[in-house]
Amino acid sequence: MSSINLDMSAPDGIIALLKYLLSSGKVSAVLVPRRNPDTGAYDIGLIADEAGLDSAAPVDPVMLANTGQILSSLTPAKRSLAVVLKPCELRAFVERVKREQGSLENVLTISYTCGGVFPLEKVIEESFADVIPNYLKRVASGEIVDGTRDTCRACEHFVPMNADVTISIAADAGSIAGCRIYLNTDRARELVGGLEGKQSDDEIDPAVTLKLAAKRKVEKEKLFNSLAPTGDGLDGVIEVFGKCVGCHGCGRVCPICYCLLCDFESRSFDYDLPYFEKELSGKGALRLPPDTIFFHLGRMTHMSFSCVGCGLCSDVCPVGIPVASMFKKVGEHTAALFDYVAGRDVEEKLPVMVYKEEEFSELG
Amino acid sequence: MGSKSKSVVVVGAGIAGIQASLDLAELGVEVHLIEDTPTIGGRMPQLDKTFPTNDCSMCILAPKMSECARHARITIHINSSLDAISGEPGDFRCTITERAKYVDPVKCVACGLCEEKCPVKVDDVFDTGLRKRKAISRYFLQSIPAEYTIDKDNCLFFTRGVCKMCEKVCPADAINYEDQDRQLELSAGAIILATGIDPFNPIGFGNFGYHRFANVVTSLEFERILSASGPLGGHVVRASDSKEPKSIAFIQCVGSRDESIGKNYCSSACCMFTIKQAIIAKEHMKDLEPTVFYMDIRAFGKDFDKYYEKAEKKYGVVFTRSKVADIDELPGGNLRLRYTEENGDIKYGEFDMVILAIGLEAREGNRVLSEELDIKLNEFDFYRSDAFGPLESTREGVFVCGAANGPKDIPESVVSASGAVASAAKYLKLERQDIASEDEGAAELDVTGDRPRVGVFVCHCGINIAGVVDVKNVAEYAATLSNVEHSEDVMYACSTDCLETIKKRIEEHGLNRVIVAACTPRTHEPLFRETIAEAGLNPYLCEMANIRDQCSWAHMEEPELATAKSRDLVEMTVAKARQLSSLERLPIDIDPRALVIGGGLSGMTAALSLAEAGHEVFLVEKEKDLGGNMRDIFFNFDKADPQAFLAETIARVEENENIRVFMAGRIDGITGYVGNFETTISGGGNGDAEKVKHGVVIVATGGEEHKTEEYLYGRSSRIVSLVEFEKMLKTGNFPAGRIRNVVIVQCVGSREEGRMYCSRVCCTKAVKNALELKKAKPGADVYFAYRDIRTYGFREKYYTELRDTGAVFLRYTPETKPVVNMVDETNPDSRLKVTAFDPILEKEVEITADLLVLSAAIDPPEGNVRLAKMLKVPLNSDGMFLEAHVKLRPVDFATDGIFVCGLAHSPKDMDESLAQAKAAASRALTFLNKKAILAEGTIARVREDRCSGCAYCESICAYAAIEVDPEKEVAVVNEALCKGCGACVASCRCGALDLLGFSNEQLFSAFDSLEMVITDGGAD
Amino acid sequence: MDKGFTPRITALLCQWCSYTGADLAGTSRLQYPTSIIAMKVMCSSRVDPVLLLKAYLSGSGGVLLAGCHPGDCHYEVGNYHTRRRFAILKAIFDTLGLESARLKLSWISASEGPKFAQVANEYTDEIKKMGENPSKKKMFL
Repeated sequence: MSSINLDMSAPDGIIALLKYLLSSGKVSAVLVPRRNPDTGAYDIGLIADEAGLDSAAPVDPVMLANTGQILSSLTPAKRSLAVVLKPCELRAFVERVKREQGSLENVLTISYTCGGVFPLEKVIEESFADVIPNYLKRVASGEIVDGTRDTCRACEHFVPMNADVTISIAADAGSIAGCRIYLNTDRARELVGGLEGKQSDDEIDPAVTLKLAAKRKVEKEKLFNSLAPTGDGLDGVIEVFGKCVGCHGCGRVCPICYCLLCDFESRSFDYDLPYFEKELSGKGALRLPPDTIFFHLGRMTHMSFSCVGCGLCSDVCPVGIPVASMFKKVGEHTAALFDYVAGRDVEEKLPVMVYKEEEFSELG
Repeated sequence: MGSKSKSVVVVGAGIAGIQASLDLAELGVEVHLIEDTPTIGGRMPQLDKTFPTNDCSMCILAPKMSECARHARITIHINSSLDAISGEPGDFRCTITERAKYVDPVKCVACGLCEEKCPVKVDDVFDTGLRKRKAISRYFLQSIPAEYTIDKDNCLFFTRGVCKMCEKVCPADAINYEDQDRQLELSAGAIILATGIDPFNPIGFGNFGYHRFANVVTSLEFERILSASGPLGGHVVRASDSKEPKSIAFIQCVGSRDESIGKNYCSSACCMFTIKQAIIAKEHMKDLEPTVFYMDIRAFGKDFDKYYEKAEKKYGVVFTRSKVADIDELPGGNLRLRYTEENGDIKYGEFDMVILAIGLEAREGNRVLSEELDIKLNEFDFYRSDAFGPLESTREGVFVCGAANGPKDIPESVVSASGAVASAAKYLKLERQDIASEDEGAAELDVTGDRPRVGVFVCHCGINIAGVVDVKNVAEYAATLSNVEHSEDVMYACSTDCLETIKKRIEEHGLNRVIVAACTPRTHEPLFRETIAEAGLNPYLCEMANIRDQCSWAHMEEPELATAKSRDLVEMTVAKARQLSSLERLPIDIDPRALVIGGGLSGMTAALSLAEAGHEVFLVEKEKDLGGNMRDIFFNFDKADPQAFLAETIARVEENENIRVFMAGRIDGITGYVGNFETTISGGGNGDAEKVKHGVVIVATGGEEHKTEEYLYGRSSRIVSLVEFEKMLKTGNFPAGRIRNVVIVQCVGSREEGRMYCSRVCCTKAVKNALELKKAKPGADVYFAYRDIRTYGFREKYYTELRDTGAVFLRYTPETKPVVNMVDETNPDSRLKVTAFDPILEKEVEITADLLVLSAAIDPPEGNVRLAKMLKVPLNSDGMFLEAHVKLRPVDFATDGIFVCGLAHSPKDMDESLAQAKAAASRALTFLNKKAILAEGTIARVREDRCSGCAYCESICAYAAIEVDPEKEVAVVNEALCKGCGACVASCRCGALDLLGFSNEQLFSAFDSLEMVITDGGAD
Repeated sequence: MDKGFTPRITALLCQWCSYTGADLAGTSRLQYPTSIIAMKVMCSSRVDPVLLLKAYLSGSGGVLLAGCHPGDCHYEVGNYHTRRRFAILKAIFDTLGLESARLKLSWISASEGPKFAQVANEYTDEIKKMGENPSKKKMFL
């Protein structure tokens, strides 16, 4: 047995699964996105009571905060915890685990083939709830949904990597009426195996997902090519990041940026008058606050190879910098140096923690 | 033995002499290091790279040389010789002659003007005559001490009474033509001879045409040619037409393994030396075709065979087993080799260049010196020592190390040097040292929080700097920089009077930072730091700006730009200095006890060395008996009985009150760090686990004979391993019936997939036992199946002896291994049918063997993996413990306070294990003999409030010096282990780590201070 | 008179190999342009790529980081880490179309005085050809 099919829509199926986990006592709490039926506001709920699951909105196309980041403070979990995360959130969490910022111990990870999420500015619109049924239909038919985040439309990693449980949604027409729950690990079979439903040995059909992945890849190329419309090089960088107000919000919401205080806010980068005089010489004018572009490039050296492309950073940018797209583009190149895929495997060491004796012979 | 002394005379300042001196000095002993040439360093500075890591020779040696020169307890006597000794061990009187240098070393500032102006050119010995030097010169550019000497035999003044140019140009008034040879009387508790070797001189040797044909050079000359700092700048060209060679022939054993010239020994290092040169040459010239002509490739050391394989497979070096008969020079300069292949065929080969791999021979001076010192030489004129006293000369209290008593490579020399120190310790008055003495002097001022008050001293260095850079301009510019309270230019910043000036200015101006803009901080920063410490400042408040080596000397044609750069360098240094803070070197207490793991020969020897120096030792042996592998060794070449020696050693261990043996013991856990380890040992008699505290750990876990499944081992009583064979020879319990044909197969399990290493001892051991067999069964015929005979060093003559008995040598390759069949499959005592390929006859031979001996590999014990994890030290790919540096730290681990010796390190013979065990003990004593050591000042520091506990740093640190505390979830630096490299600091994403002395703020400030656009000319 | 353009090249040299090699270049009186100005660090692995980035954005014509040859590190393996970090920084530059040639990693041993001089000369020539670092001219940077 590697999958259980339920005769209900995928979102309902996930809620049924969570209810089963709570009612059977297999887990003591679940972490899942919800929607306040009174206000329409989304959040991420930590729920211990079955009744609390009525407001769960497990696959609504919304990401308020990266669940991977939130999960850090809940782990190592003393008692079993089930978590519903998007594939990128799970990858982010794995990246955090590698940095000792969390643990997979006692955590049942439930993820799904993801159709992407909408930017927060769309989510807060009053009519947002109306968008969802159509969204789910289009996702199920394997389409890339207009209006979702840039990095979501360009995301090839929408099939969860190493989740305990995977629900099939994207590119699965059956997900509107039926919920296919794939049990990938021993932990999943142990905790979820007792859920009533039609058991089978099905696996996710790679042919279908590959097709969607190919579409997303085309979208990604388009996105990457559009990033510096008028200039490459330093001009391009200034064009993209030159609007930065230095709020560092992007770093704060980034699930990979785990530092208590960002190094770029430290005293090393506090300047005095002689510094500005030196900087001005031969130039005549400076942009203040200082170090805005430096901050972004510096952050790339810190974490780009671990970027999962969740897109939160772009969402929170007050001046509309496509931070996520830039980081995703750069991150693909830095990760490729080491054949590294962020969040692929918790045992895979961060590329900056290890080395090979024979590599990069072209350098130096 | 009379009284014990606190000083030692070490003769010879090559790597062995340097290592011995450093170890002794660290034990608190006064060392007089006597060196014949005008510099310390010996042979290593002449080498370009070292095998098998291709480490740059000078890179690894230079720090040791300067440490030696700086050490307060080491006095270097260059141009000197030991002429006589009198007195008793423990209280020798040594007569030293210091030959005149004609340059006052106190006054000479090594500016080099004299050399520039000297009109006499002579061959440069250091560069093997490939370059010229002057009659007044420095031995080589990085020589230590950095002094000039006059070569009296070539100086115009001394030979013809004219010139005196050097005296005229010397700005320091250092030339003294009146200088005389001086005699010194030194007292010494012990004497260590580290006089090294001479390279074999191949002039007139064989028919190789050395010195007749321009393109035939020795391996030492080729080393200089390969060297980036050599006479050709590392550009390999041949002498006849300055063209890059396309093909090079290396001829092995030139002056080695040659009875006809009285050199029936192997020089041990040349095979590897050649492989290295072939690889390096190939790296220089991608199209080069190197061919090596050899008898046997003796890659017997740790990781050597892998290197050999790499040369063949990766670099395409061709190895041709043959004997070169002669060489002809062809028109155009190419060389034609005539050589005999293994099967007797005569072949010819044409090469652009020929390298003669010259052997190592006893030093010419050995005969005279040995007579003067009343010490015996062996038949090859090397100092005599024996298997159970590998470091002792024939005179009590006089020790030998390095290649003085036999050819050795660098790590073996270092091992023997450290080992000799442990042996000498017996004659020395050793006391555990306090660290307080280093802190004497003025009480340190607390400058924390004070506004930086910087003093800048710009050095003229005679005309070295001032001849190019406008020093006054630089000093004036410095005065304009903020926080600079005082600035001046000085003639020689390092001269005694100037150092006094600096101290005076600190007081006058209340300086709390000092910058000296002069030469390189690598050589002079310690001096200036000491100086400001004498004035009450923390030594780390001094920085240097390198305006000589990296400015005036490098920009001699551009004085204005050089002046501008000097200003920038000073400004950058001031910017860094503003951010400097006082650094403390924290004392780390050292527990005087030691843990030795393994009670074989190595472990016992190490334990005894430590115990005899007064330290308590916990010796843990996993078996029920002491002795390890040596319990199975019954014969030895020089007649000394191994079992008698072993019994004596065990008795000494058991009788020694300082040694506590844990028999059938097991290590359950080790925690702590240098000086402060705690180990849980179970077993040890009462069966309860016990915790012991100790300051150091010596790993001597030994090795095991590989249990082979090849060659039908185990199927017939007539198939035995080499160890079993030795027992059989001892007991006389041979299989019943005739023992006529005995086949010995070498490299069983060694040098092949899964065990890509040579087990080193098997060739010698098999030769030894074959000779024993001949004694026991004179009628026996020995068939010796081998891949390369590796009877290195003086072991060679036993191989020759075995050959002379008529033993048949059958060389095989991995593809042509001998095939063994039982004559009668059903009989467990069946004779064997051995089929082997004879490459000389080029056909298969079949032998009905009465006995088959399998020389099985040496395996690392399984427990190594567990122990390595506990100690957090690495194993190499073969499962042997991996030392800190394969060349210069052969018994240390990167982690301080942990040492390795014996087979745990790699396969080796008894004498080598003894030497290495003593070396490990000696290195351990450098810690144990101190009550406390000082941690580095330049170490990583954690700002706990910013640390996220991600453990990047922990995964990166090579010294296990930083760990995330599981409770606090922040990184914690172990100050005792941190080496201050800063790798962790640059890995820290959160900015929670910093490197004291090289902090982020310091580096950023320094860079920020730089003008990124250079205004041309610098004058405006 | 054409004064010519002299780019500043900021260098970070590890003290065991490359700084020693730079000293040897001087001791050997090998000549190279004054444009290169070096700072000593314990190990190339001490250098956070962010420092190189900062030097670039401050307008340094070129930034040179040099250490012991791989395998020769005085601190066992520091330069292997340096190499990975540098590769990451270079990939960022390349992806963004920044001139990664303004960043240079070099292995220079203590005996490679000539190599240091050569690197200094060749790199200065290369940077001269590239012209001034654009960072130095951008008023909105």
